[in-house]
Amino acid sequence: MSVKQRKTGHNSDWLGFVPFLLFCLAFEIIPIIFLLRGSFIEKTTHLFTLQHYVDLQRPIFVNSFVNSIKLSGLTAIIGVVLGTFIGYAIYRWPSERVREILITLSDVTTNFAGVPLAFAFVVILGMNGVITQFLLRYFQYHLYPKFSIYSFSGLILAYVYFQLPLMVLLILPAFAGIKKEWQESAQSLGADTFRFWWRIGIPVLMPSLIAGLTLLFANAFGAYATAYTLVESKLSLVTLQIGYMIAGEVRQDQGVGMAMAIVSLIIMGLSIGIYQAATLRARRWSKS
Amino acid sequence: MAKSQSTQTHGSSKKVRPAGWQIFMVAFFLFYMLVPIISTYAFSVATRWDRTILPEGYTLEFYQRAFSASYFTITLRNSLILSLSTVLVSMLVIIPTVYWVHTRLVGAKPLLDVLMILPFGIPMVVLALALVQVYNFPPMARSPFLLIGAVVIYSMPFMYRPISNAIQAVDANVLTEAGQSLGANIFQVLYRIIIPNILPGILSGSLLVFSTVFAEYTLTSLIVGARFKTFPLLLVEFTRINGNVASAFSVISFTIAWLVSILILWVGSMGHTSKAKTI
Repeated sequence: MSVKQRKTGHNSDWLGFVPFLLFCLAFEIIPIIFLLRGSFIEKTTHLFTLQHYVDLQRPIFVNSFVNSIKLSGLTAIIGVVLGTFIGYAIYRWPSERVREILITLSDVTTNFAGVPLAFAFVVILGMNGVITQFLLRYFQYHLYPKFSIYSFSGLILAYVYFQLPLMVLLILPAFAGIKKEWQESAQSLGADTFRFWWRIGIPVLMPSLIAGLTLLFANAFGAYATAYTLVESKLSLVTLQIGYMIAGEVRQDQGVGMAMAIVSLIIMGLSIGIYQAATLRARRWSKS
Repeated sequence: MAKSQSTQTHGSSKKVRPAGWQIFMVAFFLFYMLVPIISTYAFSVATRWDRTILPEGYTLEFYQRAFSASYFTITLRNSLILSLSTVLVSMLVIIPTVYWVHTRLVGAKPLLDVLMILPFGIPMVVLALALVQVYNFPPMARSPFLLIGAVVIYSMPFMYRPISNAIQAVDANVLTEAGQSLGANIFQVLYRIIIPNILPGILSGSLLVFSTVFAEYTLTSLIVGARFKTFPLLLVEFTRINGNVASAFSVISFTIAWLVSILILWVGSMGHTSKAKTI
């Protein structure tokens, strides 16, 4: 608001934007365009083809998309539901100091993704993990082989670890949008807690909940390091498949890999797009 | 201005105790967040810990073995080189651009915002695949330079947010006009006036980028792999060789992340920049 509107029409002013634009073009946009082009080109004849996308219907690829979407969807839902409740518990916590500590903790832990996190879960829930042994010794409960940290259910636990704090950080500002007076006036009009949340609270939070769901989905869908460390080839995920193709560990046709990359790009792009739109809506509530 | 991280209070003056469900939720959260980390720390100094609830004894042997691992210093050095050069390139690309857009090219702000959100919509493996295929010729192909380019793109939003917030807070237009009326050219204004004024924002951004890149695994392993082994690559290698030594590596990695976070908080309290994470 303090930024004065200056003459923005000057063409020469755009020169200052060129270095940054060139950087983005060189390391992001042009490579992605080439990828898109490559996904429609037959390797030997260099002619246009849809074959790579047709090939995506092979069970192994369908399977990895199904697994990735299931994993991301599930951990996003778990993250949104638990994160909202935890966020509200933090938001309503009486001591400011405790609130600040919990927010800082969320800030730090949401960055603890990747390899060290995956390994930490092996330490507690691996075959000889701390919790695995604890359950066995004191409750005679055999976690394995029903559960395994190296499987789909293990991945869910590890993913929720970085999803939860992210949701907490995302939802906290949204609670500020629910004014205390609204709750009071709703009560004075005879609405109980449930009706208040159903009629007012949840609708106000809705844009933030949708933003959370889509951001968490994209966050999980694009994740690679955690999955690579934990399941490696035991479970087929989109990002793992693409990774194998880059490393040249599979002799699959590159074209299928590019088609796969483009489809996952569309899925991620859509999620982030919806996230952006929902965030803009959410700001309307948390403002003023 | 919409601050993304609101710690606004809601009338905390009255002394109320947290409700039962609140305590339960927060306890669950703490349990989930802390147990994996604390266990890793304990595991790295435990002699044997598969028969008892607490470790049977403590040792620093695994740290000794971690430090003496043949690749330890090289990977640590490579990680530092990668993180620091990313921070440097990122600053060079972003600071002048953000300044320019805020003072001379307000019309480009929406474009800048879109370009800054873009990396979130691109899975890292897809970026790696695209880069590896386009840059398949000698000086660039699978080189650390290509990796730095990729990592700058991926960590750009972390640098952009704090700097953009800081520049908005100091009213760059007034500062620029004041500087120019005293005869400074645009580079002098940027270097002598703007940068010192937004330093807390630059520091927060740099630290965020540093810690993100230091722990980066995906792009590094897929673009350069063993040719330029970084610390996270060494960690993955050891998770398959020796769990105890791997936990020592994890602890080193966690500790660096903690330290950088503390620094970010400290820097954040210096200026009034909101350290808005992620988007």
